[in-house]
Amino acid sequence: MNVAAVPVQAHVTVALCGRPNSGKTSLLMHLTGANLRPVNFPGTSVERTESAVMVGSVELRCVDLPGVLSLQAVSRDEKVALDYLQQGNPDLLCAVLDASKLSVELHLLQQLRRLGRPVVVALTKQDVALAQGMPVDAGALRKALGLPLVEVNARTGSGIEELRALLAQGAPAVPVVPPAASLDPQRIAANVQDTRVQRRTFTDRIDRLLLHPVLGPVLLCAVILLVFQTVFTLAEPFVGLVEQGQEALGSLASGLVPEGFAQSFLVDGLINGLGSVLVFVPQIALLIALVTLLESTGYMARAVFLLDRLLRKVGLTGRSFVPLTSSFACAIPGILAARIIDDERDRLATIAVAPLMPCSARLPVYVVLIGAFFPPAQAPFVLLAMYLLGIAVAAGVALLLRRTVLKGGRSMLAMELPVYQRPSLKVTLVQSWMAVRGFLASAGTVIFIATVVVWALAYWPRPAAIHEKYETERSALTASDTEGRQRLDDQEQAAYLEQSFLAGIGKTVQPVFAPCGFDWRITVGILAAFPARELIVPTLGTLHSLGRVDASDFGVNSMSTGDREEGLRGALRRSRDAEGRPTMNSLVALALMAFFALCSQCASTLAVMKRETHSWRWPAFAFAYMTLLAWLVATAIYQVGSLLGFGLEA
Amino acid sequence: MTRCDVPCLACARTGQRVRVLAVDGDDPLSRRLLDQGLWPGTEVEVLTRAPFGDPILFRLRGYRLALRRDEALRVRTVPAEPVA
Repeated sequence: MNVAAVPVQAHVTVALCGRPNSGKTSLLMHLTGANLRPVNFPGTSVERTESAVMVGSVELRCVDLPGVLSLQAVSRDEKVALDYLQQGNPDLLCAVLDASKLSVELHLLQQLRRLGRPVVVALTKQDVALAQGMPVDAGALRKALGLPLVEVNARTGSGIEELRALLAQGAPAVPVVPPAASLDPQRIAANVQDTRVQRRTFTDRIDRLLLHPVLGPVLLCAVILLVFQTVFTLAEPFVGLVEQGQEALGSLASGLVPEGFAQSFLVDGLINGLGSVLVFVPQIALLIALVTLLESTGYMARAVFLLDRLLRKVGLTGRSFVPLTSSFACAIPGILAARIIDDERDRLATIAVAPLMPCSARLPVYVVLIGAFFPPAQAPFVLLAMYLLGIAVAAGVALLLRRTVLKGGRSMLAMELPVYQRPSLKVTLVQSWMAVRGFLASAGTVIFIATVVVWALAYWPRPAAIHEKYETERSALTASDTEGRQRLDDQEQAAYLEQSFLAGIGKTVQPVFAPCGFDWRITVGILAAFPARELIVPTLGTLHSLGRVDASDFGVNSMSTGDREEGLRGALRRSRDAEGRPTMNSLVALALMAFFALCSQCASTLAVMKRETHSWRWPAFAFAYMTLLAWLVATAIYQVGSLLGFGLEA
Repeated sequence: MTRCDVPCLACARTGQRVRVLAVDGDDPLSRRLLDQGLWPGTEVEVLTRAPFGDPILFRLRGYRLALRRDEALRVRTVPAEPVA
């Protein structure tokens, strides 16, 4: 490292380090033009991201590390940063210092310098310091530190060119090291920054409202509701697009490939599998985008502040708010986001209950069942009840865990509330895209494979006898009776399904679910849903001889509109057993929804849990407790309801 | 407000300015409090409290720090001179 003149290297790797909220990520995007490459599976802002840019003939590789408060790592994200700094071998460190918090920032710089690598300082947020009435004298600071220093503004981009050029030069020649005494952060800060004046700023004015003892919580509820409402409304047209695409592709395939095994595999297996995955992307992308947007304004820290006490009462922590909210889209990004929680026991508790948050995969189930069995006026309340069920059980489980298996721990808050800033659209889009990518890679694969496996179990065996029987009936129809032909086709499909392997498994298992009021078809649906919840809807559709289910039934609004006697809803209402008795009513629907609210039916979530907790114990535990709880609650609902007279007719 | 044996950040009134005397203890929490800038001599202003009084928001060294009540109890303080 100690050379007088350093030749220009072909590659320079720079690690951007600094405290949280110092603007590292924005700086990275400006330096390299936002062609970010996630190094590992991304959570929120706690992963290491790398990006590179060519500066002349030098490839400048920048590594954005999570924010650290000191080199004594307390939280996981701080450990990630530290591990890289100590073992990752960057050529340079770029210390990103926030001018408005100079004295605290210098404290970290001191520790960074002890790592023994060359340091270049990027001084950010001078505009914030100015607004507060305490600008930093950059020149004086440069002299006092004895380090190369560039003042940058991540919003306007000023200073970026200079910084980029400086970094591309690689390790600078050894600087003159000032005597140790003058490296005292407090003295240096006092010399370069006049902190006597502290003006009230925009952030203070907004916080008077958002952190108001009464208005604060009220506005928080409003924001949360607004976020979910937006997600549901905006996602619908995209969901419709996916379904239309699936149908178009399906028709194309049906036209090209003659009827039989190949066509069914292509349409009901592959294309259906693809559609089942893509249909969730709009909701996931939108919710993650909104959460990231809120986070980049600084509001999430306020939410954590307001909710910390409440969340602690149920065994979690204020920081659990972000992972749990993300879990409303999908538990996978939620579980990854739990990395921001510093105390390991808080983090594990959050991970253990994240799958209980009502995720987007449960919504189609609720929509179809509520739409079929509950009047439109009751629909929103039943939906709300299902949501509250998941949340209430999550609170109970977290509390229990923290009192037993996860007792103790060093949960800390000690958190900065950053200044409010304009949300970064770029960061929002990038984070959202990374979450979707992660979902497609892990959950997508599982859902896809599971759909194909379920298809296979439902397709075989295919006895010729059934085909012959329906051929006979078809030949009895007139040539123009297309409706009759369609009806027979659907019945034939149902007949195949009724004696398929899947149905065989369902009928064998059904006694387990009898106390819940579920018949064999519902049991089959539940089994098919184990790899991925949403599979129950197309499975039920096929079982009730509907051919392919018209999935425009999936929009939230369709719960209270449309004809209940049509499509899957109608079929469920008319569902009868071998003796002609109805097999479903609103009580059974309620029990089934409660089952789905609580049951662990997502293989990909379990896989991510295993990765994040480094053992199969937690996913195994989650699977066991959730499934058992789901069965108990569903049984309780059905049995109590039956006693009250709402059960199925005997 | 809250009664403590010695004046600390937890019992400082909203709007009050105090000066840090010391941080009690030698554990991850005390180290974290120091990392956040609560060194002896630091001037701290109490900004606001969350519903039910916990956590508490402070301003110090140019930024806003939220501490739980049991964290604030660790930081012993003396009243600061009034700002001219």
